[in-house]
Amino acid sequence: MATTVRPVDPRRPNVASADIQLPAVRNYTQVTDEIIDTLRPTKAWFAALSVAILCFLIGALTWIYQIYMGLGVAGYNPPVMWGVYIITFVFWVGIGHAGTLISAILYLFRAGFRTTIYRAAEAMTVFAVMTAGLFPILHLGRPWKFFWLIPYPNWRLLWPQFKSPLVWDVFAILTYLTVSSTFLYIGLIPDFAALRDRETHPIRKRIFAVLSLGWRNSDREWRHFARAYLFLAAFSTPLVLSVHSVVSFDFAVSIVPGWHATIFPPYFVAGAIFSGIGMVFTIIIPLRRWFGLKHYVTINHLDAAAKLCLFTSLVVGLAYITEFWIAWYSGHEYEQTYFIERVLGKWWWAAAIMLICNMVLPLSLFVQRWRRNVVWLFTLSLFINLGMWYERFVIVIPSLSREFSPWQWTGYAPTWVDWSILLGSFGWFFMWFLLFVKQLPILAIAEIKEVLPPAQRRAHALAGDPGGGAPQKKYPEKLGRED
Amino acid sequence: MSDKPATSGVRRREFLKVLGAAGATTAAIGCSTEDVGKLIPYLVHPDQTQPGVSNYYATTCRECSASCGILAETRDGRAFKLEGNPAHPLNRGALCARGQAAVQGLLNPDRWRGPMVRRQPGGELEPVAWDEALSVLHQNLSQVRLAGRAGQALFINKHETGAFPVFLDQWLEAMGLPSHLSVDPLADDAVIEANRQVYGTAWPAFNFAAARLIVSFSADFLDAWGATVPQQLAFADARAQVENAPRFVYVGPRRSLTGLNADEWIPCRPGHELVVAQALQGGNASQIAQAAQQSGAPVDALNRLAAELQATRPAVVLAGGGGAAAYALAMHTATWNQQLGAVGSIVRADQASLAYEGMTPGSELVAAVMRMSLGEVPFVAVRGANPAFTLPAPANFAEAFARVPFKVSFSSYPDETSMMCDLVLPDHHPLESWGVAQAMPGVLSVQQPAMDPVFQTRQSADVLIDIARRDPALAPQYAQTLTFREWMFQRFPGGMDGFTAAAPTGIASGTLSRPTPATGPGAAPVPPAAPPADGEFYFLVYPSPVLGSDGGNKPWLQELADPVTKIAWQSWVEVSPRTAVRMGIENGDILQVETAGGRVEAPAYIYPGIQENTVAMASGRGHTAYSERFAANIGVNPMVAVDARSGAQAWMVSTARVSRTGRHTPLVTTEGSPRQRDRGIGQATTVAALLAAPAADPHHPTPTLPGEPGLEGQHDQPEPAGHGAGQRFGPGLRAPVAADAQGGLVDPNAHRQGMYRFDHPAGMANRRWAMTIDLARCTGCSACIVACYAENNIPTVGAPYQTRNTPGTLGTAGGNIVRGREMTWIRLERYWEGPADGSADFEARFVPMLCQHCGNAPCEPVCPVYATYHAPDGLNVQVYNRCVGTRYCSNNCPYKVRYFNWFGYGEPNRPQYAWPEPMHWQLNPDVTVRGKGVMEKCTFCVQRIREAENRAALEGREVQPDEFTVACAQACPSRAIVFGDAADDDWTVAQLAHDRRAYHVFEELNTYSAVVYLRKVQHLAPGAPAPATVQGGAH
Repeated sequence: MATTVRPVDPRRPNVASADIQLPAVRNYTQVTDEIIDTLRPTKAWFAALSVAILCFLIGALTWIYQIYMGLGVAGYNPPVMWGVYIITFVFWVGIGHAGTLISAILYLFRAGFRTTIYRAAEAMTVFAVMTAGLFPILHLGRPWKFFWLIPYPNWRLLWPQFKSPLVWDVFAILTYLTVSSTFLYIGLIPDFAALRDRETHPIRKRIFAVLSLGWRNSDREWRHFARAYLFLAAFSTPLVLSVHSVVSFDFAVSIVPGWHATIFPPYFVAGAIFSGIGMVFTIIIPLRRWFGLKHYVTINHLDAAAKLCLFTSLVVGLAYITEFWIAWYSGHEYEQTYFIERVLGKWWWAAAIMLICNMVLPLSLFVQRWRRNVVWLFTLSLFINLGMWYERFVIVIPSLSREFSPWQWTGYAPTWVDWSILLGSFGWFFMWFLLFVKQLPILAIAEIKEVLPPAQRRAHALAGDPGGGAPQKKYPEKLGRED
Repeated sequence: MSDKPATSGVRRREFLKVLGAAGATTAAIGCSTEDVGKLIPYLVHPDQTQPGVSNYYATTCRECSASCGILAETRDGRAFKLEGNPAHPLNRGALCARGQAAVQGLLNPDRWRGPMVRRQPGGELEPVAWDEALSVLHQNLSQVRLAGRAGQALFINKHETGAFPVFLDQWLEAMGLPSHLSVDPLADDAVIEANRQVYGTAWPAFNFAAARLIVSFSADFLDAWGATVPQQLAFADARAQVENAPRFVYVGPRRSLTGLNADEWIPCRPGHELVVAQALQGGNASQIAQAAQQSGAPVDALNRLAAELQATRPAVVLAGGGGAAAYALAMHTATWNQQLGAVGSIVRADQASLAYEGMTPGSELVAAVMRMSLGEVPFVAVRGANPAFTLPAPANFAEAFARVPFKVSFSSYPDETSMMCDLVLPDHHPLESWGVAQAMPGVLSVQQPAMDPVFQTRQSADVLIDIARRDPALAPQYAQTLTFREWMFQRFPGGMDGFTAAAPTGIASGTLSRPTPATGPGAAPVPPAAPPADGEFYFLVYPSPVLGSDGGNKPWLQELADPVTKIAWQSWVEVSPRTAVRMGIENGDILQVETAGGRVEAPAYIYPGIQENTVAMASGRGHTAYSERFAANIGVNPMVAVDARSGAQAWMVSTARVSRTGRHTPLVTTEGSPRQRDRGIGQATTVAALLAAPAADPHHPTPTLPGEPGLEGQHDQPEPAGHGAGQRFGPGLRAPVAADAQGGLVDPNAHRQGMYRFDHPAGMANRRWAMTIDLARCTGCSACIVACYAENNIPTVGAPYQTRNTPGTLGTAGGNIVRGREMTWIRLERYWEGPADGSADFEARFVPMLCQHCGNAPCEPVCPVYATYHAPDGLNVQVYNRCVGTRYCSNNCPYKVRYFNWFGYGEPNRPQYAWPEPMHWQLNPDVTVRGKGVMEKCTFCVQRIREAENRAALEGREVQPDEFTVACAQACPSRAIVFGDAADDDWTVAQLAHDRRAYHVFEELNTYSAVVYLRKVQHLAPGAPAPATVQGGAH
């Protein structure tokens, strides 16, 4: 769409645009055919969906059991009052950050490599936030009263405590969910139209017709669409920073040693983006293989994303080191005790997992050969997922177990209930994601068509027009409909 | 209204009736998500009973032999809370943990619910009607008497003082049976006998305040050695004298709770106290050196103590323990006390406790068991006592008892002994019974029922009268006294009228029981046992200070962490840190302790306060047939490994081999880290430091105008948090936030106006409820914790049935506590100060920790739903109904005093229900039972505050200073806790809050807490340098 794609001048090769070339994609028909072709359900997909639903059901049934019995069936060990659920909440919120970053910020920055991965990332965002949003409720002592956190008019004139970061969380998460799903939907409108035109089943066709908002591929529609998309991108950009900042306030606003730090908002945002990109790799690498989309999601794209991953890893690593420095510099004995405990105490192994996965292993991405090694990228992404889960573990558990009063220093060990619900959250997330990939195109058809080399268009373009972003509006029928 | 009679249609009154009924039904059905409970009001109120208002019955505690006076609080005919009787001269309003838990004995679900009989030998006990049960007893007793064997029958009674023993002996005599055996398994026979010999009374009172030096040779006067509540009151009063308080040195193999309260501990081998005592009295350097070598005590410490004992008058020495030489040790110290000037001033025979008058020495019980095992005993009756559990296994009680042809139990609970009996005629609980106790010379303590019997039980004395009346020869003797109550009234001074007059206060003057004469010299001094062979240990068994011998069926006591080791719901073996290093033992490693008498297995607890060659275990757990919910199969009974051949006394020293089993179990402990890491939680100071403090130090609060709350300066100019000596020290009142909470920032005069006045500028109160806790007084006894459980409906969480098949609870007794889920709104933190290498030079700091009701509470702003907020009178309030359970408040609480309902402890249909019927009758009707998923914490007994305010309002007056207090302060046998309004200088708490020893915990966090601690005072040995650990924190 509005991404500016300049022609490659052989004398001055533009690396940035070279990254996004799709040499194996020849024309629009191929794009539409190949991408819509991925929507056909396969046996493997049904198997994967079954596994996801099974995992989700395990989690759901465990939750029902937990509601009936009480939270004691989980591994809580006061004063470790927050455990796997809050860790997993932050984990999923963090993952939800990459999508908006890629679709909004990179869009505004005109980073072309986002084109082929952004739809998957955006869907991942929406489902990750949907997953994350469950956990604050899951973790409540009385989850059936969760709506008391929402300000609604009532005759008792009772309002939430607006000083509490948990109330800010409610706003942050709901806002983020709303905006990111709107963003996802807006981006999907031209693709809905493409699906509508291809669809033969009357009911599905009708649904796609409604969802495409009657998209007729007109100039006016494209103009409005581009404006809306740009506006939402601008609107979402601060959210990327704010949502995880607010989540970090859950910790930073408290007085708990190890939580009470001003570095938390940037540190959390960097960590969130880092974990999100990790999850993007985890998702997109198998997808491009199984859906035969390697010539869309090229190694160049992965290479570029890996650089982003490396950058955020460095930011996160810096934050880790800064935290130790702050603890030393603060002269705050509780803080210092905690940070010594963090690396040498009972939970040293969790800190070691965190540091190795998030700080050390991503350093391999400095080497281009590793960046372009898909197997390594996938493996690394799993390590990053693990490391980022443990980062939240290191923040939540050791801090609470080594607080001010040494008499109340304890341990923590999750039970099968915690693990089942964690598993259930993955089941829930992948259930939605798997359903998504077979209902809607995982690559943005319309946007990819923009990336295609101008040579494809020359047959239709005005003479002398070198191509680029603007001209396709003159040939709207090439985009939304079949040639 | 029409004059015309309504002949048809609906009349107004009927319409209103129907409307009301329909409306009520709709309301009941439509608006409640819970089952609608039925409230059945009294149709006719019993006399002096008002719904919602408590009645108090003065009666006597029968949990141990001491006979403290108690007030049983009842509501709607149910006793639910026991408090010390302030009018009672023995306990002066205080009550220990065991005493308060008596109400859980009364309402115990595992009581005998009616008489039981074993119809054929080897069969099960079956329920039976009282008439039939009495016939069975009558028949069997008659047979014994007809056979002429009545003289060989036995009646074993749990020791008590007062009317019943007199009645019982009279009845036994009439029936031709010998006098009863009155057994108290915890009593120290040797000391009692020595006291009789030297002081002429079984147990003198100890006026510690008069002493300058106390030396205890394993005399655990705060644990189970004698009448602990009066002793603790005396000790705390002595310690409260600060500069003039006595120094306390403890000599013994194990630092008990008493030992932890000593300023110095001199470890010695078990059974060697006598050698040490003799050397100390002699003061001869070579003798001391020899004693030090023999006993393993450090010679320097002994030399210093000997010199101190020479120089200090008056001093008092106390004996306990001593192993085989116990009697010699007790005699030695008793005579030594005369030399030290203690007798008459510190050791007061005139205020003696008569708790042990009429008690049978343990040796007689062992002799009786011998006769049983020889088949000489045709009939045994047991009431209250449980020798099958309390006697050492080598005494072979069970085997001997089984040989008795007919055994009847009058016990209230199924226990090891009564399960072996052929007939069970369950007695009333003491709170359902009539009686009189003899607490002190000339002081009678009345015992009256606090409620109707819970089950189909009968008071044993009434049963005995019934049996006697079945014998035509005896019937005339009891013709006038059909019940024990009438029998007792006849002998009570002033008769029934006298009793009625005494009932409101619970005490009367008079004497019922005769003092037992001294039985002559006991065993000759026995040389101390040879040191155990290489690789062997002394095995010391001591009575648990919280469980006693029969407290195991009360969940409060099982859940109450041992004051020393902080272990609950479990038995443990104490080993010294050096032994642990040598043998590679870690906390929780299961050890096997094997003596010549038997063997036990229990997890290890590494305890710095135990002598290196010694391992120790507490008795009181390890029941096999006691309360199936709360006691059976929990822990082990160390008595099975006590080598009883060395004597009759229970608390003997045996020699044991200790080995690791290779298994491990988590310790059920409430202890996190035992080190406070200089965080200033439990602070201490020395006498020298206090004396050196500048004279300007405001020991007393700044004088204020009469009638003015002393807050002027603070409201006008809030002072910063940091303060030094000389500044006024107030609980949370110097804070801008707190001043705002008092309305001070809105209107400087706001604090003079009542919180409920509609025109009040901030709707704020003129009060600041606050508390002071004097660590110089606190002994760590933990009575406050049980008081809090009783008052505030706190669930116990460790019973096996609460953890069975439940993830997250480890599935073991106390598993929830291993997970840190105990609900102790007030807990006792016990920190070690000093070297951690196992040397004797360490100190214990006891810190009662409860919600600090911060003026600037970290918990409040983080709650998303306002479930916790600041009340106008300074309370930090938790609204259970509003709580959704995010638990953020707990995370943000630096004191960690918030507790979460992980399970439905208060929901009867849950497996974790904490109050199985009828234990839920104990629930305080003024306090909510919390549901699952909500946070709870100390409320400063807000129900008591509101009750006092309401009472004052009804009477048209202000709440008077010190008019009421909270449950923990009320119970505290050290009087360490003082509660009140710190904004009003007429309250004691307001004065104490400005004490020179005052400090707040974590003051640097600007929480402006309402709990003020007064530093512990250390009394160092003369000439000893101040230890580096004195302050316990850089403040």
